Amino acid sequence: MKFPKPRRILLYILLILFAFAFVLPFWTGFTTSLKTKRDVIYTTPVEPPPSLTLEPWIEAFNIMEKPLFNSLIFTLLATIFSCIIGSINGYVLSKIRFKGSDLVFLFFSIGIFIPYQTVLIPLVLTMSRLRLYNTIEGLILAHTAYGIPICTLLFRNSYKEIPDSLIMAAKTDGAGTWAIYRRILLPLSSAPFVVAGVFQFTSIWNDFLFGLVLARGSEALPASVALANLKGTTTAFWNVQMAGALWYALPVIIVYLILGKYLVKGYMAGAVKG
Amino acid sequence: MTAVLILLPSVLLVGYFVYASIGWNVVVSLSNWEGLEPRYGIVGFPRYAELLNDPVFWISLKNNLLLILLFVPSSILLGLFLAILLDVKVRAEGVFRTVYLLPFALSFVITASLWAWMYDPEVGVLNILLENVGLGFLKSGWVTDSSIAMYCVILALTWQFSGYTMLVFLAGLRSIPESQVMAAEVDGAYGFSLYRRIMIPQLKSSVLAVFVILMVFALKGFDFIYILTGGGPGYSTFVLPLEMFRETFSMTHFAYGAAIATVLFVIVMLIVVPYLYMSSRRREE
Repeated sequence: MKFPKPRRILLYILLILFAFAFVLPFWTGFTTSLKTKRDVIYTTPVEPPPSLTLEPWIEAFNIMEKPLFNSLIFTLLATIFSCIIGSINGYVLSKIRFKGSDLVFLFFSIGIFIPYQTVLIPLVLTMSRLRLYNTIEGLILAHTAYGIPICTLLFRNSYKEIPDSLIMAAKTDGAGTWAIYRRILLPLSSAPFVVAGVFQFTSIWNDFLFGLVLARGSEALPASVALANLKGTTTAFWNVQMAGALWYALPVIIVYLILGKYLVKGYMAGAVKG
Repeated sequence: MTAVLILLPSVLLVGYFVYASIGWNVVVSLSNWEGLEPRYGIVGFPRYAELLNDPVFWISLKNNLLLILLFVPSSILLGLFLAILLDVKVRAEGVFRTVYLLPFALSFVITASLWAWMYDPEVGVLNILLENVGLGFLKSGWVTDSSIAMYCVILALTWQFSGYTMLVFLAGLRSIPESQVMAAEVDGAYGFSLYRRIMIPQLKSSVLAVFVILMVFALKGFDFIYILTGGGPGYSTFVLPLEMFRETFSMTHFAYGAAIATVLFVIVMLIVVPYLYMSSRRREE
Protein backbone atom coordinates (compact mmCIF):
# COMPACT_ATOMS: atom_id res chain seq x y z
CA MET A 1 0.00 0.00 0.00
CA LYS A 2 1.19 3.52 -0.78
CA PHE A 3 2.35 5.64 2.11
CA PRO A 4 4.60 8.71 1.76
CA LYS A 5 7.91 8.59 3.56
CA PRO A 6 7.38 11.08 6.43
CA ARG A 7 4.15 9.25 7.28
CA ARG A 8 6.06 5.98 7.32
CA ILE A 9 8.40 7.34 10.00
CA LEU A 10 5.42 8.51 12.05
CA LEU A 11 3.95 5.03 11.62
CA TYR A 12 7.01 3.35 13.11
CA ILE A 13 7.14 5.85 15.97
CA LEU A 14 3.53 5.00 16.82
CA LEU A 15 4.12 1.26 16.57
CA ILE A 16 7.15 1.49 18.86
CA LEU A 17 5.37 3.71 21.41
CA PHE A 18 2.53 1.21 21.59
CA ALA A 19 5.03 -1.62 21.92
CA PHE A 20 6.54 0.19 24.93
CA ALA A 21 3.11 0.62 26.48
CA PHE A 22 2.35 -3.08 26.02
CA VAL A 23 5.71 -4.18 27.41
CA LEU A 24 5.94 -1.76 30.35
CA PRO A 25 4.01 -3.89 32.89
CA PHE A 26 6.12 -6.96 32.00
CA TRP A 27 9.37 -5.05 32.09
CA THR A 28 8.78 -3.46 35.50
CA GLY A 29 7.46 -6.76 36.83
CA PHE A 30 10.65 -8.43 35.65
CA THR A 31 13.07 -5.82 37.04
CA THR A 32 11.19 -5.79 40.34
CA SER A 33 11.42 -9.57 40.62
CA LEU A 34 15.23 -9.27 40.56
CA LYS A 35 15.48 -6.57 43.24
CA THR A 36 15.88 -6.76 46.99
CA LYS A 37 13.04 -5.30 49.04
CA ARG A 38 15.21 -2.24 49.74
CA ASP A 39 15.89 -1.65 46.04
CA VAL A 40 12.20 -2.02 45.21
CA ILE A 41 11.52 0.94 47.49
CA TYR A 42 14.56 3.08 46.66
CA THR A 43 14.91 2.62 42.88
CA THR A 44 12.37 3.50 40.20
CA PRO A 45 10.38 0.51 38.92
CA VAL A 46 11.69 0.74 35.36
CA GLU A 47 15.41 0.78 36.09
CA PRO A 48 17.33 -2.49 36.23
CA PRO A 49 18.31 -3.77 39.69
CA PRO A 50 21.49 -2.12 41.05
CA SER A 51 22.38 -5.37 42.76
CA LEU A 52 20.90 -8.43 41.10
CA THR A 53 19.23 -10.95 43.43
CA LEU A 54 17.52 -14.25 42.69
CA GLU A 55 16.08 -14.45 46.22
CA PRO A 56 12.53 -13.44 45.17
CA TRP A 57 12.50 -16.12 42.45
CA ILE A 58 13.64 -18.77 44.92
CA GLU A 59 11.20 -17.66 47.59
CA ALA A 60 8.31 -17.60 45.11
CA PHE A 61 9.25 -21.02 43.77
CA ASN A 62 9.27 -22.52 47.24
CA ILE A 63 5.70 -21.33 47.71
CA MET A 64 4.51 -22.18 44.20
CA GLU A 65 6.34 -25.44 43.53
CA LYS A 66 3.54 -27.84 44.47
CA PRO A 67 0.77 -25.72 42.86
CA LEU A 68 2.79 -25.40 39.64
CA PHE A 69 3.17 -29.16 39.57
CA ASN A 70 -0.57 -29.61 40.22
CA SER A 71 -1.42 -27.24 37.39
CA LEU A 72 0.93 -29.04 35.03
CA ILE A 73 -0.69 -32.43 35.77
CA PHE A 74 -4.35 -31.46 35.42
CA THR A 75 -3.66 -29.13 32.50
CA LEU A 76 -1.83 -31.77 30.48
CA LEU A 77 -4.34 -34.53 31.17
CA ALA A 78 -7.45 -32.41 30.60
CA THR A 79 -5.88 -31.06 27.40
CA ILE A 80 -5.24 -34.57 26.10
CA PHE A 81 -8.71 -35.87 27.03
CA SER A 82 -10.62 -32.90 25.62
CA CYS A 83 -8.64 -32.99 22.38
CA ILE A 84 -9.22 -36.70 21.81
CA ILE A 85 -12.94 -36.33 22.50
CA GLY A 86 -13.10 -33.17 20.36
CA SER A 87 -11.38 -34.94 17.48
CA ILE A 88 -13.85 -37.83 17.49
CA ASN A 89 -16.83 -35.49 17.80
CA GLY A 90 -15.46 -33.26 15.05
CA TYR A 91 -15.14 -36.28 12.78
CA VAL A 92 -18.69 -37.45 13.36
CA LEU A 93 -20.17 -33.96 12.98
CA SER A 94 -18.29 -33.12 9.80
CA LYS A 95 -18.08 -36.42 7.92
CA ILE A 96 -21.04 -38.58 8.93
CA ARG A 97 -24.36 -37.25 7.73
CA PHE A 98 -27.22 -37.82 10.12
CA LYS A 99 -30.45 -36.09 10.99
CA GLY A 100 -30.00 -33.39 13.59
CA SER A 101 -26.23 -33.07 13.26
CA ASP A 102 -26.55 -29.29 13.03
CA LEU A 103 -28.64 -29.31 16.17
CA VAL A 104 -26.01 -31.34 18.04
CA PHE A 105 -23.41 -28.87 16.86
CA LEU A 106 -25.48 -25.95 18.18
CA PHE A 107 -25.92 -27.88 21.43
CA PHE A 108 -22.12 -27.94 21.82
CA SER A 109 -21.56 -24.39 20.53
CA ILE A 110 -23.75 -22.76 23.16
CA GLY A 111 -21.55 -24.43 25.77
CA ILE A 112 -18.67 -22.20 24.65
CA PHE A 113 -20.46 -19.03 25.58
CA ILE A 114 -22.23 -19.80 28.85
CA PRO A 115 -21.10 -17.76 31.84
CA TYR A 116 -19.57 -20.30 34.22
CA GLN A 117 -21.19 -18.54 37.18
CA THR A 118 -24.41 -20.27 36.14
CA VAL A 119 -22.95 -23.72 36.70
CA LEU A 120 -20.68 -23.09 39.69
CA ILE A 121 -23.10 -24.15 42.43
CA PRO A 122 -24.17 -27.38 40.67
CA LEU A 123 -20.51 -28.05 39.84
CA VAL A 124 -19.45 -27.82 43.48
CA LEU A 125 -22.37 -30.05 44.52
CA THR A 126 -21.56 -32.59 41.80
CA MET A 127 -17.90 -32.74 42.70
CA SER A 128 -18.56 -33.20 46.38
CA ARG A 129 -21.07 -36.00 45.66
CA LEU A 130 -18.53 -37.70 43.40
CA ARG A 131 -15.97 -37.18 46.20
CA LEU A 132 -13.84 -35.25 43.71
CA TYR A 133 -14.04 -31.92 45.53
CA ASN A 134 -10.53 -30.59 46.28
CA THR A 135 -8.86 -33.20 44.07
CA ILE A 136 -6.78 -33.10 40.91
CA GLU A 137 -9.20 -35.61 39.38
CA GLY A 138 -12.07 -33.21 39.94
CA LEU A 139 -10.22 -30.45 38.12
CA ILE A 140 -9.41 -32.82 35.25
CA LEU A 141 -13.07 -33.81 34.93
CA ALA A 142 -14.32 -30.21 35.02
CA HIS A 143 -11.78 -28.92 32.52
CA THR A 144 -12.36 -31.88 30.19
CA ALA A 145 -16.15 -31.54 30.26
CA TYR A 146 -16.15 -27.78 29.69
CA GLY A 147 -13.43 -28.14 27.04
CA ILE A 148 -15.50 -30.49 24.86
CA PRO A 149 -17.53 -27.71 23.15
CA ILE A 150 -14.57 -25.65 21.94
CA CYS A 151 -12.51 -28.71 20.96
CA THR A 152 -15.42 -30.12 18.99
CA LEU A 153 -15.75 -26.80 17.17
CA LEU A 154 -12.03 -26.59 16.37
CA PHE A 155 -11.79 -30.15 15.03
CA ARG A 156 -15.06 -29.96 13.09
CA ASN A 157 -13.96 -26.78 11.32
CA SER A 158 -10.62 -28.33 10.47
CA TYR A 159 -12.06 -31.66 9.24
CA LYS A 160 -14.50 -29.82 6.99
CA GLU A 161 -11.51 -28.95 4.80
CA ILE A 162 -10.76 -32.62 4.14
CA PRO A 163 -12.47 -33.57 0.84
CA ASP A 164 -15.43 -35.92 1.18
CA SER A 165 -14.18 -37.85 -1.85
CA LEU A 166 -11.40 -39.33 0.32
CA ILE A 167 -14.02 -40.65 2.75
CA MET A 168 -16.14 -41.98 -0.12
CA ALA A 169 -13.19 -43.80 -1.62
CA ALA A 170 -12.41 -45.46 1.69
CA LYS A 171 -16.06 -46.39 2.13
CA THR A 172 -16.20 -48.11 -1.27
CA ASP A 173 -13.11 -50.01 -0.19
CA GLY A 174 -15.22 -51.29 2.66
CA ALA A 175 -13.71 -49.27 5.51
CA GLY A 176 -15.97 -48.83 8.54
CA THR A 177 -16.57 -45.73 10.64
CA TRP A 178 -13.57 -46.28 12.90
CA ALA A 179 -11.27 -47.40 10.12
CA ILE A 180 -12.00 -44.20 8.21
CA TYR A 181 -11.19 -42.16 11.30
CA ARG A 182 -7.98 -44.05 11.98
CA ARG A 183 -6.71 -44.37 8.44
CA ILE A 184 -7.87 -41.09 6.83
CA LEU A 185 -8.71 -38.45 9.41
CA LEU A 186 -6.15 -39.14 12.10
CA PRO A 187 -3.07 -38.99 9.85
CA LEU A 188 -4.29 -35.57 8.64
CA SER A 189 -4.95 -34.34 12.16
CA SER A 190 -1.61 -33.07 13.37
CA ALA A 191 -2.49 -29.41 12.67
CA PRO A 192 -5.85 -29.41 14.48
CA PHE A 193 -4.35 -31.37 17.37
CA VAL A 194 -1.66 -28.71 17.79
CA VAL A 195 -4.19 -25.87 17.47
CA ALA A 196 -6.68 -27.37 19.92
CA GLY A 197 -3.90 -28.65 22.18
CA VAL A 198 -2.18 -25.28 22.48
CA PHE A 199 -5.51 -23.54 22.96
CA GLN A 200 -6.64 -25.93 25.68
CA PHE A 201 -3.27 -25.97 27.41
CA THR A 202 -3.17 -22.20 27.73
CA SER A 203 -6.84 -21.82 28.72
CA ILE A 204 -6.73 -24.54 31.36
CA TRP A 205 -3.36 -23.42 32.69
CA ASN A 206 -4.69 -19.84 32.89
CA ASP A 207 -7.96 -20.79 34.58
CA PHE A 208 -8.67 -19.28 37.96
CA LEU A 209 -12.39 -19.64 38.65
CA PHE A 210 -12.64 -23.46 38.66
CA GLY A 211 -9.50 -23.73 40.74
CA LEU A 212 -10.88 -21.21 43.20
CA VAL A 213 -14.20 -22.96 43.79
CA LEU A 214 -13.07 -26.58 43.38
CA ALA A 215 -9.64 -26.71 45.02
CA ARG A 216 -9.05 -23.67 47.17
CA GLY A 217 -6.85 -24.35 50.17
CA SER A 218 -6.29 -27.99 49.35
CA GLU A 219 -3.53 -30.34 48.24
CA ALA A 220 -4.78 -29.88 44.69
CA LEU A 221 -4.30 -26.08 44.75
CA PRO A 222 -3.63 -24.79 41.21
CA ALA A 223 -0.86 -22.27 40.48
CA SER A 224 -3.35 -19.52 39.58
CA VAL A 225 -4.98 -19.68 43.01
CA ALA A 226 -1.59 -19.96 44.74
CA LEU A 227 -0.47 -16.79 42.98
CA ALA A 228 -3.68 -14.98 43.98
CA ASN A 229 -3.07 -16.07 47.58
CA LEU A 230 0.46 -14.73 47.35
CA LYS A 231 -0.96 -11.34 46.40
CA GLY A 232 -3.34 -11.45 49.34
CA THR A 233 -0.59 -11.87 51.94
CA THR A 234 1.35 -9.01 53.47
CA THR A 235 4.45 -11.16 53.91
CA ALA A 236 5.13 -11.51 50.20
CA PHE A 237 6.49 -8.19 49.01
CA TRP A 238 6.17 -6.96 45.44
CA ASN A 239 9.42 -8.56 44.31
CA VAL A 240 8.22 -12.01 45.42
CA GLN A 241 4.76 -11.44 43.95
CA MET A 242 6.24 -10.47 40.59
CA ALA A 243 8.60 -13.45 40.63
CA GLY A 244 5.61 -15.69 41.41
CA ALA A 245 3.63 -14.18 38.54
CA LEU A 246 6.54 -14.78 36.17
CA TRP A 247 7.00 -18.39 37.31
CA TYR A 248 3.35 -18.98 36.60
CA ALA A 249 3.56 -17.13 33.26
CA LEU A 250 6.63 -19.01 32.07
CA PRO A 251 5.04 -22.13 30.50
CA VAL A 252 2.48 -20.06 28.59
CA ILE A 253 5.13 -17.59 27.41
CA ILE A 254 7.23 -20.49 26.11
CA VAL A 255 4.23 -22.03 24.33
CA TYR A 256 3.25 -18.61 22.99
CA LEU A 257 6.69 -17.87 21.57
CA ILE A 258 7.16 -21.31 20.00
CA LEU A 259 3.63 -22.20 18.92
CA GLY A 260 1.98 -18.77 18.82
CA LYS A 261 0.98 -19.28 15.20
CA TYR A 262 -1.29 -22.16 16.24
CA LEU A 263 -2.63 -20.38 19.32
CA VAL A 264 -3.71 -17.53 17.06
CA LYS A 265 -5.75 -20.00 15.00
CA GLY A 266 -7.58 -21.05 18.14
CA TYR A 267 -8.31 -17.42 19.00
CA MET A 268 -9.57 -16.78 15.50
CA ALA A 269 -12.11 -19.59 15.80
CA GLY A 270 -14.15 -17.15 17.81
CA ALA A 271 -13.22 -18.51 21.16
CA VAL A 272 -12.41 -16.44 24.18
CA LYS A 273 -11.45 -17.34 27.67
CA GLY A 274 -13.10 -16.10 30.83
CA MET B 1 -26.73 -44.92 14.24
CA THR B 2 -23.02 -45.28 14.93
CA ALA B 3 -22.80 -41.49 14.81
CA VAL B 4 -25.29 -41.18 17.62
CA LEU B 5 -23.52 -43.83 19.69
CA ILE B 6 -20.13 -42.17 19.29
CA LEU B 7 -21.47 -38.76 20.25
CA LEU B 8 -23.50 -40.07 23.18
CA PRO B 9 -20.85 -39.80 25.93
CA SER B 10 -20.00 -36.21 24.99
CA VAL B 11 -23.63 -35.25 24.69
CA LEU B 12 -24.25 -36.72 28.13
CA LEU B 13 -21.24 -34.95 29.67
CA VAL B 14 -22.07 -31.58 28.14
CA GLY B 15 -25.76 -32.19 28.78
CA TYR B 16 -25.06 -32.75 32.44
CA PHE B 17 -22.32 -30.18 33.11
CA VAL B 18 -23.84 -27.43 30.97
CA TYR B 19 -27.57 -27.86 30.46
CA ALA B 20 -28.69 -29.85 33.49
CA SER B 21 -26.44 -27.71 35.67
CA ILE B 22 -28.04 -24.53 34.37
CA GLY B 23 -31.44 -26.02 35.18
CA TRP B 24 -30.23 -27.08 38.62
CA ASN B 25 -28.96 -23.56 39.23
CA VAL B 26 -32.41 -22.20 38.39
CA VAL B 27 -33.96 -24.64 40.86
CA VAL B 28 -31.52 -23.50 43.57
CA SER B 29 -32.43 -19.88 42.81
CA LEU B 30 -36.08 -20.68 43.53
CA SER B 31 -35.22 -22.21 46.91
CA ASN B 32 -34.47 -21.01 50.41
CA TRP B 33 -30.99 -22.56 50.62
CA GLU B 34 -28.65 -20.74 52.98
CA GLY B 35 -25.72 -22.25 54.82
CA LEU B 36 -23.23 -24.91 53.87
CA GLU B 37 -25.50 -27.98 53.89
CA PRO B 38 -27.38 -28.41 50.61
CA ARG B 39 -30.83 -28.74 52.23
CA TYR B 40 -33.51 -26.67 50.64
CA GLY B 41 -37.14 -26.39 49.68
CA ILE B 42 -38.66 -24.58 46.74
CA VAL B 43 -40.16 -21.25 47.73
CA GLY B 44 -40.60 -19.49 44.38
CA PHE B 45 -39.29 -16.07 43.49
CA PRO B 46 -38.47 -14.24 46.73
CA ARG B 47 -34.70 -14.25 45.91
CA TYR B 48 -35.38 -12.38 42.68
CA ALA B 49 -37.50 -9.87 44.58
CA GLU B 50 -34.62 -9.36 47.04
CA LEU B 51 -32.30 -8.67 44.10
CA LEU B 52 -34.37 -5.68 43.08
CA ASN B 53 -33.88 -4.15 46.52
CA ASP B 54 -30.18 -4.95 46.81
CA PRO B 55 -28.01 -1.86 46.21
CA VAL B 56 -24.91 -4.00 45.52
CA PHE B 57 -26.78 -5.78 42.73
CA TRP B 58 -27.53 -2.44 41.08
CA ILE B 59 -23.96 -1.18 41.53
CA SER B 60 -22.69 -4.40 39.96
CA LEU B 61 -25.10 -4.18 37.06
CA LYS B 62 -24.10 -0.55 36.51
CA ASN B 63 -20.41 -1.51 36.42
CA ASN B 64 -21.12 -4.31 33.94
CA LEU B 65 -22.85 -1.71 31.77
CA LEU B 66 -19.87 0.61 32.17
CA LEU B 67 -17.62 -2.21 30.90
CA ILE B 68 -19.89 -2.70 27.89
CA LEU B 69 -20.04 1.02 27.17
CA LEU B 70 -16.34 1.83 27.66
CA PHE B 71 -14.18 -1.29 27.65
CA VAL B 72 -15.79 -2.85 24.56
CA PRO B 73 -15.52 0.20 22.25
CA SER B 74 -12.06 1.18 23.52
CA SER B 75 -10.68 -2.31 22.83
CA ILE B 76 -12.31 -2.36 19.40
CA LEU B 77 -11.00 1.09 18.45
CA LEU B 78 -7.47 0.53 19.72
CA GLY B 79 -7.34 -2.91 18.06
CA LEU B 80 -8.59 -1.45 14.80
CA PHE B 81 -6.02 1.33 14.98
CA LEU B 82 -3.19 -1.13 15.60
CA ALA B 83 -4.43 -3.39 12.79
CA ILE B 84 -4.40 -0.50 10.33
CA LEU B 85 -0.90 0.52 11.43
CA LEU B 86 0.31 -3.03 10.89
CA ASP B 87 -1.54 -3.66 7.65
CA VAL B 88 0.67 -1.44 5.49
CA LYS B 89 3.54 -3.93 5.11
CA VAL B 90 5.57 -2.90 8.10
CA ARG B 91 9.02 -4.25 8.77
CA ALA B 92 9.18 -6.64 11.78
CA GLU B 93 5.40 -6.95 11.71
CA GLY B 94 5.66 -10.31 13.46
CA VAL B 95 7.53 -8.78 16.39
CA PHE B 96 4.94 -6.05 16.90
CA ARG B 97 2.09 -8.55 16.61
CA THR B 98 3.72 -10.86 19.13
CA VAL B 99 4.20 -8.00 21.60
CA TYR B 100 0.66 -6.65 21.25
CA LEU B 101 -0.96 -10.06 21.63
CA LEU B 102 1.15 -11.30 24.55
CA PRO B 103 -1.09 -9.89 27.34
CA PHE B 104 -4.07 -11.72 25.88
CA ALA B 105 -2.30 -15.07 25.99
CA LEU B 106 -1.63 -14.81 29.71
CA SER B 107 -3.82 -15.60 32.68
CA PHE B 108 -5.85 -12.80 34.21
CA VAL B 109 -4.17 -13.68 37.48
CA ILE B 110 -0.83 -12.61 36.00
CA THR B 111 -2.05 -9.47 34.26
CA ALA B 112 -4.03 -8.41 37.34
CA SER B 113 -0.91 -8.91 39.50
CA LEU B 114 1.16 -6.81 37.09
CA TRP B 115 -1.44 -4.05 37.09
CA ALA B 116 -1.74 -4.13 40.87
CA TRP B 117 1.96 -3.29 40.85
CA MET B 118 1.49 -0.60 38.18
CA TYR B 119 -1.30 1.03 40.20
CA ASP B 120 0.15 0.68 43.72
CA PRO B 121 -0.11 4.20 45.18
CA GLU B 122 3.05 4.06 47.32
CA VAL B 123 5.82 2.27 45.41
CA GLY B 124 3.98 1.33 42.20
CA VAL B 125 5.08 2.12 38.66
CA LEU B 126 2.67 4.84 37.55
CA ASN B 127 3.04 7.19 40.52
CA ILE B 128 6.82 6.89 40.64
CA LEU B 129 7.12 7.45 36.89
CA LEU B 130 4.83 10.48 36.99
CA GLU B 131 6.86 11.97 39.78
CA ASN B 132 10.13 11.38 37.93
CA VAL B 133 9.01 13.07 34.75
CA GLY B 134 7.76 16.11 36.65
CA LEU B 135 4.08 15.24 36.49
CA GLY B 136 3.79 14.56 40.21
CA PHE B 137 0.53 16.49 40.38
CA LEU B 138 -1.08 13.68 38.34
CA LYS B 139 -0.28 11.12 41.02
CA SER B 140 -3.35 9.28 42.11
CA GLY B 141 -4.67 6.55 44.33
CA TRP B 142 -5.66 4.65 41.14
CA VAL B 143 -7.49 1.46 42.15
CA THR B 144 -7.62 2.60 45.78
CA ASP B 145 -9.64 5.69 44.79
CA SER B 146 -13.26 4.64 44.49
CA SER B 147 -14.11 7.43 42.06
CA ILE B 148 -11.67 6.20 39.39
CA ALA B 149 -11.05 2.54 40.30
CA MET B 150 -13.47 1.25 37.65
CA TYR B 151 -11.75 3.32 34.96
CA CYS B 152 -8.38 1.87 36.00
CA VAL B 153 -9.88 -1.59 35.53
CA ILE B 154 -11.15 -0.61 32.08
CA LEU B 155 -7.75 0.79 31.04
CA ALA B 156 -5.95 -2.38 32.09
CA LEU B 157 -8.50 -4.64 30.37
CA THR B 158 -8.19 -2.61 27.18
CA TRP B 159 -4.45 -3.22 27.35
CA GLN B 160 -5.08 -6.94 27.65
CA PHE B 161 -7.71 -7.28 24.90
CA SER B 162 -6.54 -4.86 22.19
CA GLY B 163 -4.04 -7.36 20.84
CA TYR B 164 -6.87 -9.81 20.31
CA THR B 165 -9.09 -7.32 18.49
CA MET B 166 -6.05 -6.27 16.43
CA LEU B 167 -5.53 -9.89 15.41
CA VAL B 168 -9.11 -10.36 14.23
CA PHE B 169 -9.22 -7.06 12.37
CA LEU B 170 -5.85 -7.62 10.73
CA ALA B 171 -7.08 -10.95 9.39
CA GLY B 172 -10.21 -9.21 8.17
CA LEU B 173 -8.22 -6.49 6.39
CA ARG B 174 -5.98 -9.08 4.78
CA SER B 175 -8.94 -11.01 3.40
CA ILE B 176 -10.13 -8.04 1.34
CA PRO B 177 -9.27 -8.85 -2.30
CA GLU B 178 -6.17 -7.01 -3.59
CA SER B 179 -8.02 -5.99 -6.77
CA GLN B 180 -10.58 -3.99 -4.78
CA VAL B 181 -7.88 -2.13 -2.90
CA MET B 182 -6.03 -1.38 -6.11
CA ALA B 183 -9.20 -0.12 -7.82
CA ALA B 184 -9.80 2.25 -4.92
CA GLU B 185 -6.22 3.46 -5.12
CA VAL B 186 -6.63 4.20 -8.81
CA ASP B 187 -9.70 6.24 -7.87
CA GLY B 188 -7.48 8.33 -5.64
CA ALA B 189 -8.24 6.82 -2.23
CA TYR B 190 -5.07 7.07 -0.23
CA GLY B 191 -3.64 6.28 3.21
CA PHE B 192 -6.12 6.49 6.02
CA SER B 193 -8.94 7.69 3.79
CA LEU B 194 -8.61 4.43 1.89
CA TYR B 195 -9.27 2.63 5.16
CA ARG B 196 -12.13 4.84 6.18
CA ARG B 197 -13.95 4.66 2.88
CA ILE B 198 -13.13 1.27 1.45
CA MET B 199 -11.73 -1.16 3.98
CA ILE B 200 -13.31 -0.55 7.37
CA PRO B 201 -16.85 -0.94 5.97
CA GLN B 202 -15.83 -4.45 4.87
CA LEU B 203 -14.90 -5.46 8.40
CA LYS B 204 -18.56 -5.62 9.45
CA SER B 205 -18.59 -9.33 10.25
CA SER B 206 -15.29 -9.24 12.20
CA VAL B 207 -16.48 -6.22 14.18
CA LEU B 208 -19.74 -7.99 14.98
CA ALA B 209 -17.96 -11.15 16.14
CA VAL B 210 -15.52 -9.21 18.32
CA PHE B 211 -18.33 -7.06 19.65
CA VAL B 212 -20.29 -10.11 20.83
CA ILE B 213 -17.25 -11.80 22.33
CA LEU B 214 -16.17 -8.68 24.23
CA MET B 215 -19.69 -7.96 25.46
CA VAL B 216 -19.95 -11.49 26.81
CA PHE B 217 -16.61 -11.03 28.53
CA ALA B 218 -17.73 -7.65 29.94
CA LEU B 219 -20.62 -9.50 31.56
CA LYS B 220 -18.98 -12.69 32.78
CA GLY B 221 -15.37 -11.61 33.41
CA PHE B 222 -14.46 -12.37 37.01
CA ASP B 223 -10.78 -13.22 37.58
CA PHE B 224 -9.22 -9.90 36.66
CA ILE B 225 -11.36 -7.65 38.85
CA TYR B 226 -11.46 -10.18 41.70
CA ILE B 227 -7.66 -10.09 41.90
CA LEU B 228 -6.96 -6.45 41.05
CA THR B 229 -9.53 -4.79 43.33
CA GLY B 230 -11.62 -7.55 44.89
CA GLY B 231 -14.60 -5.33 44.04
CA GLY B 232 -13.32 -2.47 46.18
CA PRO B 233 -12.78 0.08 47.42
CA GLY B 234 -16.18 -0.34 49.02
CA TYR B 235 -18.39 -1.75 46.28
CA SER B 236 -17.05 0.59 43.61
CA THR B 237 -15.77 -2.11 41.24
CA PHE B 238 -18.29 -4.85 41.95
CA VAL B 239 -19.66 -6.63 38.89
CA LEU B 240 -22.33 -9.34 38.73
CA PRO B 241 -19.90 -12.31 38.70
CA LEU B 242 -18.15 -10.92 41.80
CA GLU B 243 -21.44 -10.30 43.56
CA MET B 244 -22.50 -13.87 42.69
CA PHE B 245 -19.26 -15.27 44.07
CA ARG B 246 -19.38 -13.22 47.27
CA GLU B 247 -23.00 -14.06 48.07
CA THR B 248 -22.52 -17.75 47.27
CA PHE B 249 -19.11 -18.72 48.53
CA SER B 250 -18.24 -16.06 51.11
CA MET B 251 -21.67 -15.64 52.66
CA THR B 252 -23.17 -19.06 51.80
CA HIS B 253 -26.36 -17.47 50.45
CA PHE B 254 -26.58 -20.20 47.84
CA ALA B 255 -30.12 -19.49 46.66
CA TYR B 256 -29.38 -15.79 46.31
CA GLY B 257 -26.11 -16.42 44.45
CA ALA B 258 -27.95 -18.78 42.10
CA ALA B 259 -30.51 -16.05 41.38
CA ILE B 260 -27.73 -13.61 40.43
CA ALA B 261 -26.17 -16.29 38.21
CA THR B 262 -29.50 -16.88 36.49
CA VAL B 263 -29.94 -13.18 35.76
CA LEU B 264 -26.40 -13.10 34.35
CA PHE B 265 -27.13 -16.16 32.22
CA VAL B 266 -30.27 -14.62 30.75
CA ILE B 267 -28.47 -11.39 29.85
CA VAL B 268 -25.59 -13.27 28.18
CA MET B 269 -27.95 -15.52 26.22
CA LEU B 270 -29.91 -12.49 24.99
CA ILE B 271 -26.68 -11.49 23.25
CA VAL B 272 -25.31 -14.89 22.22
CA VAL B 273 -28.36 -16.70 20.85
CA PRO B 274 -29.33 -14.07 18.24
CA TYR B 275 -25.67 -13.92 17.20
CA LEU B 276 -25.31 -17.69 16.79
CA TYR B 277 -28.62 -17.77 14.92
CA MET B 278 -27.54 -14.97 12.59
CA SER B 279 -24.14 -16.45 11.88
CA SER B 280 -25.56 -19.91 11.16
CA ARG B 281 -28.07 -18.30 8.76
CA ARG B 282 -25.26 -16.43 7.05
CA ARG B 283 -23.25 -19.61 6.60
CA GLU B 284 -26.20 -21.28 4.86
CA GLU B 285 -26.56 -18.47 2.35
